[in-house]
Amino acid sequence: MNSLDPPLLDELRAILGIEAIVSRATELKVYECDGWTVEKSSPDILLMPRSTAELSAVMAALDRRAIAYVPRGAGTGLSGGCLPLNAPAMICTSKMNRIVEIDYDNRRVEVESGVVNLHVTNAVKARGYFYAPDPSSQVACTIGGNIAENSGGPHTLKYGVTTNHVLGLEVVLPDGEIVELGGPTEERCGYDLVGAVVGAEGTTGIVTRATLRLMREPENHRTLLASFPDVDSATRAVSLIIASGILPGALEMMDQLITRAVEDAFHVGLPADAGAVLIIELDGLEAGLTASADAVATMAQSCGASAVKLARDEAERALLWKARKRAFGAVGRLAPNYATQDGVVPRTCLPQILRVISEVSRRYDLRIGNVFHAGDGNLHPIILYDERVPGQVRRAIDAGRDILKACIEMGGSLTGEHGIGVEKIGEMPLLFSPDDLRVMTELRHVFDPKGRSNPGKVIPEPGACVEVAAPRRQVPI
Amino acid sequence: MADETHSSELAKRIGPQLGADRMRNPTALEANAARVIFEPASVDEICEVVRMCETDRITLAPIGAARTLSQIRRSPVAVGISLKRLSRIVAYEPDDMTVVAEAGLTVSDFNAIAAASRQRLPVDPPNPQVTTLGSLIGASHAGPLRLSEGTARDLLIGIRFVGHGGRVIHGGGRVVKNVAGYDLMKVMGGAFGTLGIITEATFKVRPIPPQYRLAILPYERAADAFGAASALNFALPMSHVEILSPSLGARLDAPNKFLLMTGFSGTSLEIGYQAEKIRELLGDAGEILDVQPSRERYEMLRDFDWTAMPLAAQIATRPAGLERALNACGVEFRAHAGSGVAQMFVGTTPTTSDARKIVARWREIAHAERGHLRVLAAADVVRNDLEMFDQPNEGALRLMRRLKSTFDPASIFNPACFVAGI
Ligand SMILES: Cc1cc2nc3c(=O)[nH]c(=O)nc-3n(C[C@H](O)[C@H](O)[C@H](O)COP(=O)(O)OP(=O)(O)OC[C@H]3O[C@@H](n4cnc5c(N)ncnc54)[C@H](O)[C@@H]3O)c2cc1C
Repeated sequence: MNSLDPPLLDELRAILGIEAIVSRATELKVYECDGWTVEKSSPDILLMPRSTAELSAVMAALDRRAIAYVPRGAGTGLSGGCLPLNAPAMICTSKMNRIVEIDYDNRRVEVESGVVNLHVTNAVKARGYFYAPDPSSQVACTIGGNIAENSGGPHTLKYGVTTNHVLGLEVVLPDGEIVELGGPTEERCGYDLVGAVVGAEGTTGIVTRATLRLMREPENHRTLLASFPDVDSATRAVSLIIASGILPGALEMMDQLITRAVEDAFHVGLPADAGAVLIIELDGLEAGLTASADAVATMAQSCGASAVKLARDEAERALLWKARKRAFGAVGRLAPNYATQDGVVPRTCLPQILRVISEVSRRYDLRIGNVFHAGDGNLHPIILYDERVPGQVRRAIDAGRDILKACIEMGGSLTGEHGIGVEKIGEMPLLFSPDDLRVMTELRHVFDPKGRSNPGKVIPEPGACVEVAAPRRQVPI
Repeated sequence: MADETHSSELAKRIGPQLGADRMRNPTALEANAARVIFEPASVDEICEVVRMCETDRITLAPIGAARTLSQIRRSPVAVGISLKRLSRIVAYEPDDMTVVAEAGLTVSDFNAIAAASRQRLPVDPPNPQVTTLGSLIGASHAGPLRLSEGTARDLLIGIRFVGHGGRVIHGGGRVVKNVAGYDLMKVMGGAFGTLGIITEATFKVRPIPPQYRLAILPYERAADAFGAASALNFALPMSHVEILSPSLGARLDAPNKFLLMTGFSGTSLEIGYQAEKIRELLGDAGEILDVQPSRERYEMLRDFDWTAMPLAAQIATRPAGLERALNACGVEFRAHAGSGVAQMFVGTTPTTSDARKIVARWREIAHAERGHLRVLAAADVVRNDLEMFDQPNEGALRLMRRLKSTFDPASIFNPACFVAGI
């Protein structure tokens, strides 16, 4: 089963020590997939370097033997970015998890790439700062994974996604060379290579360190929970709020299926009879917040909201966000399996796409819940299925594809934040021409001319049939 | 010179093929940048010309107002491509807060239209009425609002450009959140036309704040102005926090002192609160202008023309190091305090050797603050002896060279004027 010859293993052991290497098949099974569980394939070896120097030595050793690798952070990715495809080695950053320097004067923080997203904000919040990108998985996912996927979160409506908050990177290229890209300044010197690496899904080498921007906490918040009879009226409210010129910090929607699941799981007082709820968070100067919150409440009511509740204190606010961020988990109680899709439409197409989603749900006879970043037009239909029922996996995959196609027809995109990975690689030609894809491949080769870094991801390789090192298993379709 | 014959030959060929009105002679300013100017009426025409140029190794570059290109080129390219005729709005959906527009459209022309929906593209390069979207992206123009709104880099969500082989390439899309495929917007942004010709861009737009006001506070010492700037920045979400050195302040009819010019915006309640807070923090020395004067002074602040200076540069450091760096340079400046970026200049034309020494010293100071320095403008007599761009580190530079040779294998797109001769 193993493509790794003994001399290489000796070399890797010499670099890392045995405690940082996993090579037993039973232990490797944990790493056979990320949050995209439809396909599975174990690496032959898992390497966990503790420093840039170790990581670079490991990559140079692999490069000398022409062995490809998959980078891995926490494995919470949802598009199969960590699935080994023709890449025997997996390199995990979990032991590179130090916050290197917090520089309040310059509002920068330098971290190793294995640092967990939430740990950054936790480290600076006592001084009134935060790290803005806040994926719902932030208790687990790493900054390296966020950079690779260009992750977003509820608050990216106002504050932007990962790429807007990364200033500098230390990257180890596939041959082991360590390069510094960008730096602590706002302007760049030469091409924006940081911008090219962010969102490249681990195909341009492994990020080992990052200089991130810190933001000042806004003076205050108002968090509103508005209940609507149906998703249509809730989307009307979203449009009205945006058109009014108020830019909320976050504007999130949950439909009835999700609202009920969350309420059953966490008892946060969500109205179980509502067809849809909006969580609307306004932030900024205290002086303006009451007026904005009143205006938003009036707009919600004018669109048919039956109730608009204001979180009374920080505890209530935290509870609402906990409910929102754990929505995926709550859904786990409704069905043995679920697939979280990620599509984007122009905000004005939200009512249309939600109608498409309910049609798809009927057509495939699968329940689909919606919890999503309404302000950004970024949908997360959650398709419930049971992999033990013959045909259901296939139906779930097809239902997801139909939704994505509809997104593209409306002028949207295949993915707003979860990435292409292996999951959506087949759909890339729906969005990009062969020339576009060729140029993207050329860009990738600038960093990885030999195709060693996370092969088989992002860009479909025409004609190139991927030879799978370890057998790539699909759950029965 | 070979390029000269090339441009006239190309002009002769383009006439019959695409129409005689497509070619014109450069204006005085453009003459530094290009020998002839090509004004295509469609993207297809650009593709065709790029293919012709590639076959015959004729150099070309996108040219907007020529302010930047005429400064960074040591010798003109054969053909400057002006996107004057490609300046339509392709799709503007106020409710989606996005706009797709051709790259020849100016920032002001778009903002005039968006204003009807109380929206704007919140970028403020000097003289937005001549800044095309193409040059905004390609030359990374920005202004005071970068502190609160970010730069074009943060707002650009889709791009279309003509690359090598005359291929039209697009990246990103029309939606505000999108991670499908590699981020070609970042690759083309700040590339100064060295990787292809940007023809279309999609931006996020933002609401125009209900009100905007400008506070001007004079200080005897730079240190006090910077101290006040960081106190403000800590306490309030300012729209911009600018500091002008005394001679620039004087140009705005203000006292001959270091001037803190800081803008704030919001509803009347928010404006009132911020005005009070500013007085509380900084005392009564300055003044907070009314609506109309606020706007007028802000535009003067925005529109300083660095390219008219005998020697001007832009320094970027960590924000807290900016004052130290400017102090060490001992020059006149406009500082985007809080962003760690400033434009600086000397008022009289130095000799060639002095100019080199000055720039070398500025760079040393920038590097000491982990920053870098780009020359924005230099008088004709000294320009050719200066490196306009700072040099990235070795590893990054190797990748940049590979990027250039991958995207421009024939080396025709604005060659030999970017970092390290790229
Ligand atoms: C419950 C749940 C909620 C989620 N919510 C959100 C959300 O709100 N917004 C959002 O954007 N995403 C969300 N995600 C998706 C996922 O959490 C993000 O994509 C996250 O950034 C992945 O981080 P990770 O550390 O788990 O990366 P992994 O899953 O380990 O890896 C993801 C990709 O990054 C690459 N990679 C990892 N580390 C590095 C590195 N150091 N250098 C180079 N490449 C690297 C991997 O090869 C892989 O391609 C959610 C996932 C779950 C399970």
